[in-house]
Amino acid sequence: MLELLGNHTVQTVTLGAVLLGMVSGLLGSFAVLRQQSLLGDTLAHAALPGVCIGFLIAGTRHLGWIMAGALVTAVIAALFVQVVTRYSRIKMDAGLGAALSVSFAVGVVLLTYIQGHASASQGGLDSFLFGQAAATRPSDLWFMGGVTLAAMALVALMWKQLKLVTFDPLFAGSIGLRVGVLETLLTAMIALAVVVGLQMVGVVLMTAMVIAPPVAARQWVSRLEHMVFLAMLMGVISGVGGVLLSAGVAHLATGPVVVLVASALVTLSLLLAPGRGVLWSWLKLWREQRSIGQRQMLVTLHKLAEHHEDPYYPVERSMLDSFYGVATSHILRRLQARGFVVPASHMRQEGPHWALTDAGHNEARQELERMDWNQAEV
Amino acid sequence: MKREKRHEPDLALHIEDLTVAYEGKPVLWDIDVNIPPGVMAAVIGPNGAGKSTLIKTVLGLVKPTAGHICIHGYPPRQALKRVAYVPQRSSVDWDFPTTVVDVVMMGRYGHLGWFRWPGRRERRRAMDALSAVGMEAFAKRQINQLSGGQQQRVFLARAMVQDADVLFLDEPMAGVDATTEKAVVALLQELRDQGKTIIVVHHDLQTVRDYFDWLVILNVRVVAQGPIPEVYTGENLRKAYGGRIALLDPDSSGETPDAVPREVVN
Amino acid sequence: MVTQAVQRWIVALSFSAVLVMGASGARAADVVTTTGMIADVAANIAGECLSVEPLMGPGIDPHLYEARPSDIPLLRNADAILYNGFNLEGQLGKVLARMAESRPTVAVGPESMKDDDLIKGAGGYAVDPHLWMDASLWARIVPTVADVLVRVAPDCESGIRSRAANYRQQLLTLDEWVSASAASVPEQQRILVTAHDAFRYFGLGYGIEVVGIQGISTDSEAAIADIRSVVDRVVSRNVPAIFVESTISRRTVETVVDGARDRGHDLTIGGELYSDAMGARGTPEGTYIGMIRHNTRTIVESLGGSVESWPGSLPSFAGSGRSNAAE
Repeated sequence: MLELLGNHTVQTVTLGAVLLGMVSGLLGSFAVLRQQSLLGDTLAHAALPGVCIGFLIAGTRHLGWIMAGALVTAVIAALFVQVVTRYSRIKMDAGLGAALSVSFAVGVVLLTYIQGHASASQGGLDSFLFGQAAATRPSDLWFMGGVTLAAMALVALMWKQLKLVTFDPLFAGSIGLRVGVLETLLTAMIALAVVVGLQMVGVVLMTAMVIAPPVAARQWVSRLEHMVFLAMLMGVISGVGGVLLSAGVAHLATGPVVVLVASALVTLSLLLAPGRGVLWSWLKLWREQRSIGQRQMLVTLHKLAEHHEDPYYPVERSMLDSFYGVATSHILRRLQARGFVVPASHMRQEGPHWALTDAGHNEARQELERMDWNQAEV
Repeated sequence: MKREKRHEPDLALHIEDLTVAYEGKPVLWDIDVNIPPGVMAAVIGPNGAGKSTLIKTVLGLVKPTAGHICIHGYPPRQALKRVAYVPQRSSVDWDFPTTVVDVVMMGRYGHLGWFRWPGRRERRRAMDALSAVGMEAFAKRQINQLSGGQQQRVFLARAMVQDADVLFLDEPMAGVDATTEKAVVALLQELRDQGKTIIVVHHDLQTVRDYFDWLVILNVRVVAQGPIPEVYTGENLRKAYGGRIALLDPDSSGETPDAVPREVVN
Repeated sequence: MVTQAVQRWIVALSFSAVLVMGASGARAADVVTTTGMIADVAANIAGECLSVEPLMGPGIDPHLYEARPSDIPLLRNADAILYNGFNLEGQLGKVLARMAESRPTVAVGPESMKDDDLIKGAGGYAVDPHLWMDASLWARIVPTVADVLVRVAPDCESGIRSRAANYRQQLLTLDEWVSASAASVPEQQRILVTAHDAFRYFGLGYGIEVVGIQGISTDSEAAIADIRSVVDRVVSRNVPAIFVESTISRRTVETVVDGARDRGHDLTIGGELYSDAMGARGTPEGTYIGMIRHNTRTIVESLGGSVESWPGSLPSFAGSGRSNAAE
């Protein structure tokens, strides 16, 4: 599939997807950490009326006006949300949802108005709903590259401030940071990222590009710096993977496949990530449960040996089976593998026996201590 | 910025005629507060009394409708490097990807300015502060692995590296185990002994007399303020808390009750 | 507080406003068609006898068009409705079915074509609906349309029949002109590359190979694989020009040009074609004959041929261009 990259069209689209992945991963990280993932969705949907207005003003399918219109309406929607949540009882999620639906509805009305009335050059305006990645042109790449570079420069310059404002806005305000200004700046940049992605994945799917790579990255790392880098990397992987997959198969639209790859990355991360992943927790739980059985066994053997006043007292396995009510041979074998028990025998006609080793006795004694001395770590 | 003549420079905190309104209703009204330097002051009052709002307004996080504030004679915006703020623990998302030492280093951001990055010196300051609070073993730990008491200590360490003259803490003992509470109080008292002013929004009436030496009783207006022995009276407390306070000692003559009043959970 | 009476006035005024807005926006016509191509044919046959209006104006994509509330009064007041059929008007099925209950609603395509005229099974569509691209096929709808018009206005029958015969002859003359012009394109350059697959009947009727980037309906997005395969064909067949369409964004076509140029093949955009809709009203391209003339000229000359001289029996389109469309 990699030989696809030799093709000019594929190269152009891939480069666009790379830039999109970088800028979404970068700025989406802050949106997700500030629990404003819905903001990306709102900004994307609010871009639709701007696309239509840009077309109505410029009268042609000139991308510059359309992008400018998209940016303006997206920013207006964001400001509207800020004003509404600050001066009324409406909470952030309701405000974002309201702005999203209202602006998208306005956009669709404008779209159908244009389709019903316009001159003979409005064709393809609705491609901004789901994007038209295959039609990426080199001129688009300059725009996308410029925005991505600007976003990276801004974030690098204001790294400390953005990190602090995202983590602890109250403390940030108390040391004199203009929290409102920084938050508005961040919102404006996310709006810009959304506009960058409009052509490629469209209004409806753009929100996934802003949310998925940071969420996936968060599962693997423990520092903001790493999270942002990994989110950008995952954005790039989604982009390139999506392009190559869709290019290799006929008639697969690229935008949605990019989003599917990003979603797959999220799912895998949620399942597999060490420490936070679902499978990881299951594995830990299973190992815990196994070790509990082993620890109980050690204590039992130890107490039996104490009772019989013989440290090498061999215990018949069937005795243990009846005590525990289940077959215990697998536990004993694992204890043997760890060096805590050895096979022993007593009378020839009896079944297998097991005895604790010195190491086994030590382990048992430690376990008893642990059970007595139950103090939570302060 | 023009160097204005300092107003009430001998007071650590001087608040005059302060009014803060929210949705048209006053949260704080006609507040006059004067706190001398070098005390450990508690700000107490019922829920909704405006305690947190008072701290936030002093720090410039909330805009007042009327009145003025001075910290060691300077308006708050000029006194930024002289104050430290420990917000309520719940105001932070503790799942943020960062380490303990990283959070403490954030306390130096104000002194680093816009463009300088934290380096070895900042790291050393942070580690010293973490030792002071007993958390140096946790330096590389993710903050989402900390207990409530540990989180509070990290916040305190962050405040300590700010080299402030006045520390503002918002309910630092809430939801914290007894050991941590004692440790935090001891640290704060030590800072006070070094000459700093500590101002704490405190929620537990039972411990006010043991921990603090200065008191401000607040319920939208200032009910009383001053040194603890003078201000911590049954009469003042009843004025502030209304009927929502149960005194073990039925003596209502206004003298300091022997028993400790309990705040009825409302 | 607003009193009861005032509230009632507000409601009444709002209702009236809505009605007025709805009424003032309505066009009215005796015969309503979906596409402009059908309307032009009907108008030429109806003459002064009946008014004809298309639902979809210039630049409107019939594959995607959804009925708007202002269309319903227009359709309801019409005495007859003509549409293309074969699923061209993909989103109008229900509306047309409802209208058919109370007035003649005729699908001119299925009614007029013979089975072996049709291109079948292309790109998931049972029948390719772009019949108007072949003037000889489009001439077949003339008798069908005339029959409908006579049903609506029986008094005008003689006029309708004579105009129909006249117009049908014009279309057949047009067909010969297109055929001859297309034949002038050199053999190896007879390949027409457009944004979507609207020109199969043109290709079949006039001996030119057609390649659409996007497939028959415009509601499918052009995939990377589509662009690549078109670029491959353009380069391997040495195609000189590619064409944009009035109803579709230029960008997919421009991407093919980029791809070809990258492989060293200088592909130019030969011009804009009218595929699913005619040009602006009042211009020559705003009529069916004018549309076909424009398309043919653009295609033939860009591919290296030259058009025949324009037959005298067809409208001359001299100067500003007389339009034959109604109203």
